[in-house]
Amino acid sequence: MTGNRYAYLWFIGPALVLMFVILLLPILIAAGMSFTNYSLGNSSADFVGLENYEKIFTRSTYAKMFGATFRYVFVVVPMTVGLGLGAALLINSLTRFGDVYKTIYFLPVMAALIAMAIVWEFAFHPTIGIINATLEYGCGTFLESWSWYAKGCARTFPLWLTDRDYAIWTVSFIGIWQGFGFNMVLYLAGLTGIPRDLYHAAEMDGARSGWDSFRLVTWPMLGPTTVFVVTISLIRSFQVFDTVEAFYPQGGGPSKSVYVMMFAIYEKAIQQNLMGIGAAITMVFLGFVLILTLIQRWLVERRTHYA
Amino acid sequence: MSSISLREITKAFGETKVLNGVNLDIQDGEFITLVGPSGCGKSTLLRILAGLETADGGAVRIGDTDVTHTRPSARNLAMVFQSYALYPHLSVAQNMLTPLLLRDLTTAERLPILGPLLSRSKRRALMDQVDSAAQTLKITDLLPRKPGQLSGGQRQRVALGRAMVRNPVAFLMDEPLSNLDAALRVHMRSELAELHRRLKTTFVYVTHDQAEALTMSDRMAVMMGGNILQFGRPDDIYRDPDSLAVAQFVGSPGINTIPGEIADNGQLYVQGKRIATVHGAARQPVTVGIRPEHLTISHTGQFKGVVRHRENLGSDIFLHVAVEGLTQVAVLRASPDQAATLGAQVAFDMNPDRVLVFDSQGARIRMSVPKMAAMA
Repeated sequence: MTGNRYAYLWFIGPALVLMFVILLLPILIAAGMSFTNYSLGNSSADFVGLENYEKIFTRSTYAKMFGATFRYVFVVVPMTVGLGLGAALLINSLTRFGDVYKTIYFLPVMAALIAMAIVWEFAFHPTIGIINATLEYGCGTFLESWSWYAKGCARTFPLWLTDRDYAIWTVSFIGIWQGFGFNMVLYLAGLTGIPRDLYHAAEMDGARSGWDSFRLVTWPMLGPTTVFVVTISLIRSFQVFDTVEAFYPQGGGPSKSVYVMMFAIYEKAIQQNLMGIGAAITMVFLGFVLILTLIQRWLVERRTHYA
Repeated sequence: MSSISLREITKAFGETKVLNGVNLDIQDGEFITLVGPSGCGKSTLLRILAGLETADGGAVRIGDTDVTHTRPSARNLAMVFQSYALYPHLSVAQNMLTPLLLRDLTTAERLPILGPLLSRSKRRALMDQVDSAAQTLKITDLLPRKPGQLSGGQRQRVALGRAMVRNPVAFLMDEPLSNLDAALRVHMRSELAELHRRLKTTFVYVTHDQAEALTMSDRMAVMMGGNILQFGRPDDIYRDPDSLAVAQFVGSPGINTIPGEIADNGQLYVQGKRIATVHGAARQPVTVGIRPEHLTISHTGQFKGVVRHRENLGSDIFLHVAVEGLTQVAVLRASPDQAATLGAQVAFDMNPDRVLVFDSQGARIRMSVPKMAAMA
């Protein structure tokens, strides 16, 4: 029966081969490519060492890339998590119409973001857009006591998508609008997993306000959900691409203020056919995701594991 | 000083009536058990007393105050849940500290980082209370652990500790032992009774296990179909039930019920044999109830049957006897040396003083007169 000693290879073999071919191999190839100046169509490439990485961490274009990416991430993640939790708590407290709200908030998640981007482009249009047209109705009212508003009335309201002071925040706003419904659904699932008895115990123990029982029961019990929600929101925010590509097909927005990582990869590797530098940005991106995942795993195992 | 009274409590969930005007008076320091089959409304009654459920009608009073519309947190009652409901993210010490923090500290003193600085000495005093409660329950060495690292019995103690630590008016317990294994359950019964004697606080205990009710309580209320059928000392309920339903619910193995009849002169007949005299009862078909320990084996016994099953409990053996002319087997208690083997013929008598007679509606027909005569 010695032949059966290696039988396990037949069981894990297919999974191993698949994982290697479709996950690990491409990463290894990209890693290798990031040390070259390869272009698609060329028969060979030169080894350039760390030159590509050096560019990423020294040139101002890439400083803008990190700036735009982190601005987006640090606005979108807290807002989508916070709004997701808030909406979930509100919906959870409803006895009726909960499903209606659930559907409404989840609709943007289901919609194709590229199509929604086109709709938003019209909404934000400086002359025919609904946003600025609505803002103009407020002119001449008490709202003008707000200096920003008065300035908008006197001259013109911002060019939301093409002003470099506003562009990244406008794109972030669309990211929040699009993303918080997903977090809400995750939080709703987390809320249903909290035993009712714990709330009753908190009530018997003297929790007088909703805030008391939120702090004592809801928030700690949602710990594992929160870790998951934050990680997934971070990764999704790092991955933002559709809106940027739809609004600014060339160049990543006014003064490259919306030049996020995914778009940089696309621009370098596909539009300009500089596979080497594209692969290097991809490696940096992979590094971020890896760090986030490791932090998540550490949190799950250390802090929020109750069983 | 803090008696509890429930008046005409009604409750319905949608169309289903759960409680139909229940009255219950609990004296200060009593151990009361609400016992009944599942769905009888006992847990709902407890939760109405706790304030976790609002009654459709009726009033709840604790001491001299009407608390019908008072929030649970303001009633100063403590509850032990079937699931224990410990906070899984907090250590045992923090779990026990929680009710003290929520009650004795101001909102400012409970602020996340600032709070502990503001109330250091107060918190130390509260921690001493936790320590003394932990000592009473012998769980001091568990204090730093999380609930997830405890066994069922230990969690049970921690839940008790969390209830005990702030000296509530009464302890409410909702089937607290039903998640424990059989041996631990029996052990915890005596511990709970001991704890009650020591604390001298009112206990209101809900269970579906009549054995727990009989062993622990000062008084027990047998509930069925949203009503309290009988409320009294366990002994009285076991010996002197008001109805067939109570008689059948209390006692294990269950009471034997045999069809019989009362003849014109009040003579009680079972299978044509005269058993006792029921004075003042009209001629009617009845159900005769007799507990297994009140059937005695004797060679000259009036009833004969074949042993179908022997239930050996070590100290006693319960014989399941198929009696001719009866659809149900009769269960009788025998000592191990007199117990017959399987398939053997046995003859037995009924102890006429212990026969319980019920009319066709299940209401008790008392035989007080002959009992008095027998005693005289």
